[in-house]
Amino acid sequence: MRKGVIGKVLTPLASIVLLLLVWEAIVVVFNVQSYVVPRPLVAIQAVTDNWGTLWPLVLEIIRETIFGFLGGALIGIFFGVIMSKVRFFQRIIYPQLILSQAVPVVAVAFPLTVIFGFGSVKPIILIVIWIVFFPVTVNVLDGLGHVDQDLLNLAKVYGASRWRTFWQIEVPASVTPLFSGLKIGATYAITGAFIGELISPPLVSTNLAIYVEQANSHFDPASVYGVTLLMAFIGVAWFLIVSGAGVLATPWERRTVVRRWRRRIATPEGDR
Amino acid sequence: MTSTALLDLSGVAKSFGDKVVLAPTDLSIVEGSFVSVVGPSGCGKSTLFNIIAGLLAPDGGAVTLQGRDVVGATGHVGYMLQKDLLVPWRSVEDNITMAARLTRKVTSADRAEARQIAQRYGLGEFLDHYPKALSGGMRQRVAFMRTLVTHQQLLLLDEPFGALDAQTRLEMQRWLLDVWRESGRTVLFITHDVDESIFLSDRILVMSPRPGRIVADLDNPLARPRNIDILTDATFVALKSQIMHLLHGGER
Repeated sequence: MRKGVIGKVLTPLASIVLLLLVWEAIVVVFNVQSYVVPRPLVAIQAVTDNWGTLWPLVLEIIRETIFGFLGGALIGIFFGVIMSKVRFFQRIIYPQLILSQAVPVVAVAFPLTVIFGFGSVKPIILIVIWIVFFPVTVNVLDGLGHVDQDLLNLAKVYGASRWRTFWQIEVPASVTPLFSGLKIGATYAITGAFIGELISPPLVSTNLAIYVEQANSHFDPASVYGVTLLMAFIGVAWFLIVSGAGVLATPWERRTVVRRWRRRIATPEGDR
Repeated sequence: MTSTALLDLSGVAKSFGDKVVLAPTDLSIVEGSFVSVVGPSGCGKSTLFNIIAGLLAPDGGAVTLQGRDVVGATGHVGYMLQKDLLVPWRSVEDNITMAARLTRKVTSADRAEARQIAQRYGLGEFLDHYPKALSGGMRQRVAFMRTLVTHQQLLLLDEPFGALDAQTRLEMQRWLLDVWRESGRTVLFITHDVDESIFLSDRILVMSPRPGRIVADLDNPLARPRNIDILTDATFVALKSQIMHLLHGGER
């Protein structure tokens, strides 16, 4: 157990620390000026020093990321399921979904601000949904399409309805691919929120993306790098949360025995 | 036939395009009997099974089970393949009750029965295990228990032990005979292992391809209960020789 924790937690953490050290080393060795690339500690300090201004903006982008992600997940699942169940829908909808991903998302953002009004948060959420739903749809479609045909035949021989076959076999068989899609979406979500914030800023106050943009134009790379690191951290944290949910949702992949709380209340022994 | 026929096929045929996979076939299976079907691949044995199970609609003919026409219907047989088809996300107990779960609400009686049958056949300690934790032989045992608790009189077993090693297979064959005797079910058993078909059954149907058809319908006179000694019995050897000739007729 302890050994597992060291391998699973400390090694990835050490690799990130190493990355920061390499960054530090490059800046020092090549004598990079601080107004071009700051040292990592300076960048982190730029965030901690301004935490009072930053934290409401950080909270806001986390909210957009999570709501957009959840919306994208639901819509992604919806499209995946209906396309897998109705071939006709797949022929109509799939090309349009692929097209939606070929359109540069920034180009989509501008008309959205016109449609929903400047300063609205809706375009931001919609952009997150826009880039999150697609990997979810593709993976759900794939998962539902690759359920063992012999297993589906077995259900049929038993006289199972399509509805029960769907819930008892197709859905659980698709949980693992679903989470593959969700994990990809989880890493994209924060990027979507940042693009959305950049293009649809609030009218009176500011947001994290505008904060970064202004820091950049004020020759404050420490803040630019610092906030970027912070967003990367949020992205990683969200990825880990989604991965963790995936692990909880598929206990059979790592356990040999059903956990006690999942077992049904057993009827007394010897009731035969 | 003196006993009542459980299953009756008359003139059942199936073609895919120009290819006749099953020529018009008549077959009658007596309740409580153990009937094996042997034949090379392409002889139509799986097609025959799928028609009886209701997965395939025959081009013509009638399939009657317990006096009821079951052409194109499902939900009237127990069915088991070489692949155990246990679902990895359910415990052994929940896999045994899978048929109930797929057709209605699982009751505490279903669960009690699953536990009882698993205990009786030596898997009581594994009820809460995921199938992944089980060996191939144990998994096939669970798959067979899942088939038994459907309470269907007719069990269609399509090479259920085909993927097991010789040792485990023999063990499973003896176990299957015990369970069959105790449960009073009717078994239709596909295999391409001639020894297996003789060891297990009362009657052996030999099938041949192009077109798929039954070429011989043999009674197995060997007394029950059988043990491994019969594998060298003169009757066994004679029957085996007869089947081998039917299967590999011209190719000496």
